[in-house]
Amino acid sequence: MQAPGQLKAAHSFTRSSSLLAWSVLADSAMEHYRGSFTNPAMTLPLASSLCALMAGIHSSGDSRPRRHVVRHAIYWSAAGIGIAGTAFHCYNIGKRPGGWCWNNLFYAAPIGAPMALLLSGVFGDVAERMREKPAVQPRLLGLPAWQSTALLCAAGLLGTAGEVGLLHLRGSFQHRAMYAPVLLAPAAATLLIHAAAVRRKPHWAARIALLAAQWLGVIGVLFHARGVARSQGGWRNWSQNLLSGPPLPAPPSLTALAMAGIAALRLEKAES
Amino acid sequence: MREFEHDDDVDFAIVGTGAGGGTLACRLSELGFRVVAFDAGAWWRPLEEFASDESHQKKLFWTDERLCDGETPLVLGTNNSGKAIGGSTVHFAMVSLRFRPEWFKSRSLLGYGADWPLDWREMWHYYTQVEQALKISGPLKYPWGPKRPRYPYREHELNAAAWVLARGAEALGIDWTSTPLATVSAPRGHSPPCVYRGFCVSGCATNAKQSALVTWIPRAVAAGAEIRDLAMVTRIAVGNNDRVTGLEYIREGQRQFQRARHVVVAGYAIETPRLLLLSATSRFPDGLGNSSGLLGKNLMVQSNQAVWGVMPEEIRAYKGPPSLAITEHWNYTDIGKDFFGGYSYMSQGPLPIVWAGALNRRGLWGQALLDEMQHYNHQVGLKIVGETLPQERNRVTLADEKDANGLPIARVTYSFCDNDKRLIRHALDFMGRALDAAGVGDIWEETNDTCHLNGTARMGDDPRCSVVDGDCRSWDIPNLWICDGSVFPTVGGVNPSLTIQAIALRTADRIAALAGRGELDRRPQKKMS
Ligand SMILES: Cc1cc2nc3c(=O)[nH]c(=O)nc-3n(C[C@H](O)[C@H](O)[C@H](O)COP(=O)(O)OP(=O)(O)OC[C@H]3O[C@@H](n4cnc5c(N)ncnc54)[C@H](O)[C@@H]3O)c2cc1C
Ligand code: SF4
Repeated sequence: MQAPGQLKAAHSFTRSSSLLAWSVLADSAMEHYRGSFTNPAMTLPLASSLCALMAGIHSSGDSRPRRHVVRHAIYWSAAGIGIAGTAFHCYNIGKRPGGWCWNNLFYAAPIGAPMALLLSGVFGDVAERMREKPAVQPRLLGLPAWQSTALLCAAGLLGTAGEVGLLHLRGSFQHRAMYAPVLLAPAAATLLIHAAAVRRKPHWAARIALLAAQWLGVIGVLFHARGVARSQGGWRNWSQNLLSGPPLPAPPSLTALAMAGIAALRLEKAES
Repeated sequence: MREFEHDDDVDFAIVGTGAGGGTLACRLSELGFRVVAFDAGAWWRPLEEFASDESHQKKLFWTDERLCDGETPLVLGTNNSGKAIGGSTVHFAMVSLRFRPEWFKSRSLLGYGADWPLDWREMWHYYTQVEQALKISGPLKYPWGPKRPRYPYREHELNAAAWVLARGAEALGIDWTSTPLATVSAPRGHSPPCVYRGFCVSGCATNAKQSALVTWIPRAVAAGAEIRDLAMVTRIAVGNNDRVTGLEYIREGQRQFQRARHVVVAGYAIETPRLLLLSATSRFPDGLGNSSGLLGKNLMVQSNQAVWGVMPEEIRAYKGPPSLAITEHWNYTDIGKDFFGGYSYMSQGPLPIVWAGALNRRGLWGQALLDEMQHYNHQVGLKIVGETLPQERNRVTLADEKDANGLPIARVTYSFCDNDKRLIRHALDFMGRALDAAGVGDIWEETNDTCHLNGTARMGDDPRCSVVDGDCRSWDIPNLWICDGSVFPTVGGVNPSLTIQAIALRTADRIAALAGRGELDRRPQKKMS
C-alpha cells in the first residue's frame, strides 16, 4: 500500500509544475507573439507547456501508485526544451552587437524565462517518481526525497530571484514593492537550504518565508496589473500594454516554487 | 496657481520658461522667492492638444521672422528654438549629456575657445541633481569621462538604427553606448513609460518626455510661482539708479508692466540678446549689460551634419526616440584630430516631412523625390553634434525690419570658421566609414545642417571679456541676470540642455547664498589691489 502522504506530495509537485507550465504558456505566448514568431522554434515552449499543463490535469485525477509513461515523457521533454530555450536565448544575446551588455540582457531574449519550463518539467518528473517511492524514507537523486526537492526549490527560487532582479532593475525599481520578490525569494531559498541541512527541526522560518513568497506571487499579479494601468492608455489600451507593460503571468512562478518548497517541508514532516 | 498683481514687487521676473528659465523659476520659488515667469508661448496640455501630425506641431516652434546672413546663414525654426511654456524642451530630442570636464577650461587645458568661470566638479554635482530631477534613463556604465552616479532610470531598448551605430562603432574599434535620455523607461508619477512612437521632436503626446513643461514647471507652480503664458516681453525697464525696475510685456493685445526687484532673461541665445538690445536707454545705449561690447557676439551653433544610406532590411529609424545610441569617442580623444574641439554622433530617426526636406535639400524633387521616399523604412544615418568655436563676427544684432509689435527683429549673422569646417570634414569621413562598416549602402552626406544656439551673453571672470559673471549676473546691473544657453563661453560637442539646467540650479543656489549674505541687491565692491 502506498502511503497517502506520498501521493499527496506527488500532487503538490504536480500543482507546482502545472502552475509553472501555465505561467510559461501565457508568458511565452505573449512574448513570442510580440517577437512575431520569427523563428518557428518559438512555438515549441507553447506546445510543451500546454502539454505539461494537460499532463498536470491528468495527473491530478490519477491516484495510482505508478508513474505514467506519457506524462513522464512530456515532463522530460519540457525540461529539455527549457534547457534548449535557455541555450538559444544565450546564443541570441551573444550574437547581437554589444554581446553580453546590459541593453541585451534587459531587452533581448530573457535568459531566465525558459528556466521556468525546465522547472515545470523537473517538478513534474519529481511528482511522477514520488508515486513509486517506498512509503518510508523515500530517496530521490541520492538524497532523502524531501531534502533533494527542497534543494531543487531553493535553486529555482534563486534563479527566479536573479531573473526578477534583472527585470526589476530594468524597471529602475521605480516602485518600492519591486524590491519585495528580490529580497524574499533569496531569503526563502536560504532558509530552505538551511532546513534541508539541519533536519528534524521545526522549520517555521522557512515555512513563513515560503508562505509569504507564495502570496507575493499572487499580489505581484495585482502590482503588475497596476503597472499595465500606468502605461499610456492604461487598460483601455490592453492589446498593447499587456505586451509592453510588466508581464502578468510572471509572478505566479514564484507562487509555484514556494508551493513546491512547502510540499518538500511537508514531506519531511510526514516522514519524521 | 498663485497670481501676482502688477504692482507687487515680486522678487524675480523671469523671461522664458525653457531649460534655463523653467528650472530657475522652480528652484527660486522652492527657495522661498516670489517668482513670475513669462513666456511668449502657450501652456500646452500634451495629452489633449498634441496631434500626431508634424505640420500641426509646428505650433511649438519659434518661427517669428528673423534675418539670417553670414557665410553660412542659419536656418532657424524647427531645429533650434521653441516657443512654449517649457521652451525648446517641449520638442527637444531629450539627449542629456554632461560636458567633458576639460571643456570648462578649454582655453587653459586644450588651447582654444574660452575658460568658464565654473569648476567642473561643482558642475558634476549639479548635473547629478538635474539627472535626478528628470529621472534620466541612461546606461549603467558610461564609457567616457570621470565616474558619474548611476542614471536614475535604466537605458531604453535600442531600435534598429541604434544597432547600426553600434555595429559601425564596434567595427571601427571605438566605444558606443545607449544615449542618456530625458524620457522615462518605466512609469514615473503621471508619466507613463515611453511608447517608442518617435514623435519626440514634434512634442511628446504622452508626457513620457521629461521636459521643463512636465518637470520644473509643475514644481514651480506648486512652490508658489506664477507662470504667465502668451506674454511677450518687449522691454526691460531701468530706473534712474541704473537698476532694473520691472518689465514691459504684451498679453492679450495689451501692453502691461510688471514690477520686479530682479529680472532674469532666459529667452535662448537669439531672443535674450535681442531683448537686452531692445531695452537700451540713454544710460545704456548699446543695450543692457553690454559694457563689454560682447552682448550678442560669439553666437555658437552646433554643427549637425549627417551621413545617410540605406540598409537592405527594414530599419524604421523613426521608431523610438530619435537618438537612442551615441558615441562620444571624438569628444574624449585628442589624438588623430586636425581641429580643436570635439563631436559626438548619434543614430537618427527623422519623421517623414523632415526627411523629405533633407532629400529636397539634396536636390531631389518630383518623381526622384517620390522614388527616394520609397526607401524611408530602410534609410539609416548618423548625425553629429559638433563643437564650433566662438567668433565675435557671429552675432545677433537688431535689424531695421520690425515685427508685428513694431519691434526690430533679430539679425543673425553666422559663418563657420576653418576649424569648424575641418571638424565637420573629419566627422563626415569617420561616420561614412562607420556606416560602410555596418553594411549600409548608397551612402551620402548631408553637409548643411546646424542645431542648438549658444553664446551671445557669455559668462566669465572678467567684466571686460564677458557679459555676466559665473552666477549669471550682469556685470553692469546687479539686479539683472541671464540664465539660459546664451551664457556659454564654449559649446562642446554635446547637446546643451543638461548643462543649461545645471547652470540654472547653480544660479538658484548662488542667489540664495547671496541673499543670505545681503549681497543680492548690491554687488559688493571688489577690493582694489
Ligand atoms: C528640435 C530640437 C531638438 C533638441 N534636442 C536637444 C537634445 O536632444 N538635447 C539637448 O540637450 N538639447 C536639445 N535641444 C536644445 C535645447 O532644447 C535648448 O538648448 C534649450 O532648451 C535651451 O534652453 P533655453 O532656456 O536657453 O531656451 P528655451 O528652452 O528655448 O526657452 C526659451 C523660452 O523663452 C521664451 N521667450 C524668448 N523670448 C521671449 C520674450 N521676449 N518674451 C517672452 N518669452 C520669451 C520662448 O518662448 C521660449 O519658450 C534641442 C532643440 C530643438 C529645437
Ligand atoms: S517616443 Fe517616447 S518620448 Fe518620444 S514622443 Fe513617443 S512617448 Fe514621447
